[in-house]
Amino acid sequence: MGLEQYKGDMDMCCRCSACKFIPLQKVAGFSYANVCPSISRFNFHSYSGGGRVNIGAAMLRDGFKYSDRLLDIVYNCQMCGACGVSCNYAMDMEVLEPIQEFRIKCVEDGKTNPALDKAIATLRKSGSMVPATGKRGEWASGLKLKNAAKEKVDVLYHVGCLTSYDKGMQKLAKAAAKILQKADINFGIAGDSETCCGGRAYQMGYRKDFLNQAKKNAALIKKAGIKTVVTTCADGYQAFKVLYDKYGLKGKLEVFHISEYIDKLVKDGRLKLGKKVDISVTYHDPCRLGRLGEPWIHWAGKKIPGDRFVFDPPKIYRRGTYGVYEPPRRVLKSIPGVKLTEMTRIREYSWCCGAGGGVTESNPEFAKWTAADRVEEAKSTGAEAIVTACPWCVRTLSTAAGSSMKVYDIVELVERAIQ
Amino acid sequence: MALSKDIYSQFEDVVGEENICDDPVIMPSYHSTEFAAVILPKNTREVQSIVRLCNKHKLRFRPVCTGWSGMFQPGTLYLDLRRMNRIIEINEKNMYAVVEPYVISAQLQAELMKRGMHFNVKGAGTNCSAMLRGHGHLDQVASGDDRNHLAIEWVTPEGEIVRSGSLGSSNEWFSGDGPGPSIRSILTSAVPPGVTPGVFTKAAVKAYHWPGPLKFPVVGESPNYSLSEIPPNMMARYYSFPSVEKMWQAEIRLGENEICFELMGFNVAMVAANITTCNEQEEKVFKQMSKEVQGPGFFVIIAGNSAADYQYKKKVLEQIVRENDGKSLKSVEDPRTEGILLCQCIRISASIRETFRPGGAFSSIPVMGQRDLTIRWAVGAGKAKEPLIEKGLIVDDGGAFFGWGVEQGHLGKTEIFCKFDPQNPEAKAAVEAWNKEQSARAFKEKYFAMLMAPPSEIGPGLSNYHLWWDKIHKAIDPNGVSPSAGALV
Repeated sequence: MGLEQYKGDMDMCCRCSACKFIPLQKVAGFSYANVCPSISRFNFHSYSGGGRVNIGAAMLRDGFKYSDRLLDIVYNCQMCGACGVSCNYAMDMEVLEPIQEFRIKCVEDGKTNPALDKAIATLRKSGSMVPATGKRGEWASGLKLKNAAKEKVDVLYHVGCLTSYDKGMQKLAKAAAKILQKADINFGIAGDSETCCGGRAYQMGYRKDFLNQAKKNAALIKKAGIKTVVTTCADGYQAFKVLYDKYGLKGKLEVFHISEYIDKLVKDGRLKLGKKVDISVTYHDPCRLGRLGEPWIHWAGKKIPGDRFVFDPPKIYRRGTYGVYEPPRRVLKSIPGVKLTEMTRIREYSWCCGAGGGVTESNPEFAKWTAADRVEEAKSTGAEAIVTACPWCVRTLSTAAGSSMKVYDIVELVERAIQ
Repeated sequence: MALSKDIYSQFEDVVGEENICDDPVIMPSYHSTEFAAVILPKNTREVQSIVRLCNKHKLRFRPVCTGWSGMFQPGTLYLDLRRMNRIIEINEKNMYAVVEPYVISAQLQAELMKRGMHFNVKGAGTNCSAMLRGHGHLDQVASGDDRNHLAIEWVTPEGEIVRSGSLGSSNEWFSGDGPGPSIRSILTSAVPPGVTPGVFTKAAVKAYHWPGPLKFPVVGESPNYSLSEIPPNMMARYYSFPSVEKMWQAEIRLGENEICFELMGFNVAMVAANITTCNEQEEKVFKQMSKEVQGPGFFVIIAGNSAADYQYKKKVLEQIVRENDGKSLKSVEDPRTEGILLCQCIRISASIRETFRPGGAFSSIPVMGQRDLTIRWAVGAGKAKEPLIEKGLIVDDGGAFFGWGVEQGHLGKTEIFCKFDPQNPEAKAAVEAWNKEQSARAFKEKYFAMLMAPPSEIGPGLSNYHLWWDKIHKAIDPNGVSPSAGALV
């Protein structure tokens, strides 16, 4: 069905511009009222959620006319879903789904972005979204971790591409492993057998490549008899929990982000965060852990003819309500010495770090611009550091912050609290 | 409709290549028109240069803020004012704010509340420009229409920069009428065309005393926002009455006693729309509330400056309601619902859930005039909706209309609309016919409606104002490059 299935949704757009701003009750003043990086950076309405669906509706009606400008609009979007949350406060319509389908159509029609093609070529060759230097499981050498592909484990820790290969990020994997070891969890990694979750390929519009990766992971999980997956990467979390479910590949697999899992371990008394970590922080919600991390809702139905845009059976929209917001905050608050101050744009209306949708690859300047806006907001809280829960956010925010502000992943603080 | 390369580059020189685009691919995101180009000026000087170029090349232009919908002639240069988004000044002493066109009302309201002030957010919603003229939920205490615009900076259709009122003789924004040139009569208009040619680039917006908290304690995740507590000395209620006459008597007495922070003549369909998070829930709640009310009604917010002031206002309210046999809707007394409505009406102005969510479109007839007369007209217009509701062409809202007195007075706004699916041609045609018939009736019966008809049809009934307007328009826009009709939301 592709984009066509969202024709009714796209026709519903009333061009109110709510998609450009955080939900209006939450606007705290002049500053930090914007929610969509793309319209904030490029200004033409076409770059907003509403603009995108209006273009989609027009092209379904009048035929697809590709131009450089159209592709600029399509690929300068982090697919962060903030537009949908702000729209869906008031409206019943899909926003991000048609935008995603539009991008998939572009890829299927061969209207791709060269930088994204390059990233996908790497994925096809090495099973990684980042250049694969060395072996994927090399970071774990000497840690005596179980190989989940060969040994029986209760939990598979899916490390992710960036954390596995980026020397600067490998410390996050080591911290996560140490935390799981401390809680005496029978876990393992897939090591060199691990492959990309496919989530970022999906955001970029390469659905076939995503499905290829998803099927590989589903097969590995099935073969190893894994029932629970823990990720440290928000992209991986969304892929395993939401996207695999959307495409019928998740089965009964339980998926936790490490922040949820630590929260659970603390609640169950299996992990104590006893050491003091004196630091004032603000928390950045990764899009794919927060608003886009809420469960997929399977639905099929038909519009009821008549005056309203309603369906039989009723359609329940994913409005960002049930994302993972509290667990990371509870974990931070339970670390002695950590002082958490919130930014203006948080939880379901959080500002994206800039790394999503392939923007890191296709337009690094835009990714950095987006992150810089977030760093400024973080600084406005008076916090010493930003804490987040995704290596892509850590990397993008760190690049923008330079030496002006520290950026940590939540596992780094937890690691310090358990030492 | 594209501009020639040479003309395009002249505009490009004004705003930079990043801020002008004539690729047809972006046009559907604006409106269904082939624009000559979309251009994004950053400041008054750029607007002036653009307007002068438009005159030089006899090119029509049209400035727009956040957007909603609009009618545009093909070949128009679309001025997207998005980059003009600064709050220039908030003057607490003289109680006004100076804003550029793309400051949205949500931003300004939040900034004003922090300073113990508020302004009248318009019915279009706080997603729209804070410069917008018109009416809204807070008309009782924060007036409406042109009275909230003080000094204005205006780029005329020929590209002159005119500063009205006090700004014309000093750098002060406190008055629209002087010392300095008062040109209020041509800067706004309550009847079609309803818009001034040229571009407003800055305006001072009047602020009012805000007796509530510095910010609302909003909790929960979207779309389930509510208040953690009802702010001190505030209350929201919905009252229904056994008849329209009783409702009107209560409204007029409440106005005379000057106790309401808001008095909005909603029916329960609009209450249901505001407090629910999806269409299905809205339908259900509307049906349930319809059984709870005894007839027409209104929504009221009381906001006391002190506990004693609050108690006084509450007592007066309850007495007036009682004397007119009014009944409070229990569902709204629930603090959760009460909190949602408080925030919706003061911080959002509610309009998207009320208007667009059900079917994607609405068609409205707004009437400004003596409330008892316009209510009488609206009852008839509501009756006329019934056959459309029965056929399933428009959303069942019980024939709803709404309205309120401005400045606690007898004069006020009354409005009625039909919500429908614009993809359904039968519904669209039926709604258009309803609008035309009811507008014609309003005009024929001398209700002074802001009608859909062209000025040439309305003018003869209103001292031939349209002939004067034509002369003014020709004088200030000799090249005919600026629109003489349409709203700039």
